[in-house]
Amino acid sequence: MSRESLLEVRDLKTYFYTEDGVIPSVDGVSFTIKKGETVAVVGESGSGKSVTSLSIMGLLDTAGKIESGTILFEGSEVTTLSKKERRKLRGNEMAMIFQEPLTSLNPLFTVGNQISEAIRIHQKVNKKEAKKRSIEILKKVGIARAEKVFHSYPHLLSGGMRQRVMIAIALSCNPKLLIADEPTTALDVTIQAQILHLMKELIKDKQTSILFITHDLGVVAEMADQVIVMYAGQVVEYTDVFTLFKEAAHPYTTSLLASTPKIHEQTETLQVIEGTVPNPNDMPSGCRFHTRCPNVMEKCMNNEPVLTNIHAHHQVKCWLYEEEV
Amino acid sequence: MPISITFRYRGTIVGKYIIRRLLQIIPVLFIISFIVFCLVYVAGDPVALMLPEDASQEDILQLRESLGLNEPFYIQYFNYMVGLIQLDFGESFRYNTSALPIVLERLQATIELAVAAMIVAIIIAIPLGIWSATKKNSAIDVVATGGAVIWKAMPNFWLGIMLILIFSVMLGWFPVSGRGTWSHLILPAITLGTGIAAEMTRFIRSSMLEIMNQDYVRTARSKGLKEFFVIHKHAFRNALIPVVTITALQTSTVVGGTLITESVFSWPGLGQLLIQAVNTRDMAIVQASVFIIAFIVIAMNLLADILYKLLDPRITFR
Ligand SMILES: Nc1ncnc2c1ncn2[C@@H]1O[C@H](COP(=O)(O)OP(=O)(O)O)[C@@H](O)[C@H]1O
Ligand code: SF4
Ligand SMILES: [Mg+2]
Repeated sequence: MSRESLLEVRDLKTYFYTEDGVIPSVDGVSFTIKKGETVAVVGESGSGKSVTSLSIMGLLDTAGKIESGTILFEGSEVTTLSKKERRKLRGNEMAMIFQEPLTSLNPLFTVGNQISEAIRIHQKVNKKEAKKRSIEILKKVGIARAEKVFHSYPHLLSGGMRQRVMIAIALSCNPKLLIADEPTTALDVTIQAQILHLMKELIKDKQTSILFITHDLGVVAEMADQVIVMYAGQVVEYTDVFTLFKEAAHPYTTSLLASTPKIHEQTETLQVIEGTVPNPNDMPSGCRFHTRCPNVMEKCMNNEPVLTNIHAHHQVKCWLYEEEV
Repeated sequence: MPISITFRYRGTIVGKYIIRRLLQIIPVLFIISFIVFCLVYVAGDPVALMLPEDASQEDILQLRESLGLNEPFYIQYFNYMVGLIQLDFGESFRYNTSALPIVLERLQATIELAVAAMIVAIIIAIPLGIWSATKKNSAIDVVATGGAVIWKAMPNFWLGIMLILIFSVMLGWFPVSGRGTWSHLILPAITLGTGIAAEMTRFIRSSMLEIMNQDYVRTARSKGLKEFFVIHKHAFRNALIPVVTITALQTSTVVGGTLITESVFSWPGLGQLLIQAVNTRDMAIVQASVFIIAFIVIAMNLLADILYKLLDPRITFR
């Protein structure tokens, strides 16, 4: 556990300034990714996973602002960097793949153009060399007939193929951090398994760290070393993957686990978590999960628990594990 | 043209496609020619205007006979179509020669004006549209969008007259009217071009606003690409597709604007010729002009279709 940390997010708050008011989409999130480690972020849709990753990448749209907190990449603060310095990191030191492979590639440019572009932004190579490297990387992401695909337009490729191309683009400059925002959610199960397998293969020999965002705990078990469980813009549980599956502590996590189908079990008695993720501009007081929590207590309603260590490397944000205030 | 029929683009034969589409134009032109013929037929007898006022009844009847105007409708239509197939619209009695060459000569002047106006429009609309979309709600956006609305509401003839008053009459920078040198072209091109630009700016802006939210724009940014290229390479190319289509479909509006602009500036183009011909009931000229204008509108639609397919690899030439 003494590996160097690559990314440290401390008390990150990202708010959106919209016509309906200020939306605190990410509200005090902290975590660390070590070199070569895969950290999964899980949580239902709307819990702030994507906004967290876009904050790290510096890709928030104009309505989104990092209110406070720090993001340290290899020990240096990135939130205060100039646009130009930020751009030098993006695609080069940190890269991202997205949920929607069908719409993430530009329909008017060939696959080759879009990979070569990524290479030539950060590396001084000529067109020919960029093409050579692009074809190499297409082969590496498991695309047969790479030469042909290089000259193809994206619409001719399947969703799984396009996600492979996105991975090729993301890995083209050997980034130290790869952020994968639900990269397999839009794909069917077999393709999903292939893509996950590919990602594991690709980073095996390198020191690439991954921030893997998903709402699927099955994928977490497959991929992650550490797990962050997010709810309503906050971290509610943070531990390693074995602890999470063996002794999940937060009622939200246990509900999530109970609602995840197990491959070898009958899925008829699948539980779902009642209710929905609260609207970020109308957050419940106290513990944000209290409106849905099966273990809710009196004090949960008005007092917010803090994220505390219940064991070494196991943090939980719940009154069940905290002393009285 | 160096492009052969078997010219291939992204694996499809473009020449064949174009020829097929051109063949499809023929029935449309027939329908148009029928409508034009009917209009002229209904509009009535040009003979009275063609002869001096003191012409005898005898003379009138004789001229009617020689022009074939005493024949029944279907015979007249048949004669007209026989001529049309040979691109013969009959003789203009005002110019005493075949109508089509006169029309084609004036068409050159009109095309000169239309091309100059398009250049003006593109130079204004593309940067302004992109700029106001990428700086949404900024001062530039408000001014550009508001300006476009006002400009669009401004009639061509009024703008033309104002420009003449200011730049020709008061400042004396440009000639008041006519055609010949570059300086003759500038005011009419600005009059027509800024009107087109107003519409085009709004299209480009809304198209860009939509495209800037697309996932592939975020992908381009995630590569670390400079914002200039994100906007001009990845976003604008996509935004252009609907703009090209809409602009080409607006050809008829542009033709209308050209006719008005030509008469304001006494630009010796097709519009001016057509208006004169209507006033003097020079029906050969009217028919030839309307036919040519219709052909241009159809041809521009075809061009839009081809451009659209060339710009978007997802669409195939079929
Ligand atoms: N561009 C935006 N403008 C306003 N609100 C946004 C924007 N992007 C995300 N949000 C809000 O932030 C919250 C978290 O969103 P997101 O991070 O996308 O959730 P997740 O990825 O976990 O499904 C949502 O409630 C969403 O409404
Ligand atoms: S603090 Fe209370 S409401 Fe919140 S998760 Fe724990 S028990 Fe449930
Ligand atoms: Mg998301």
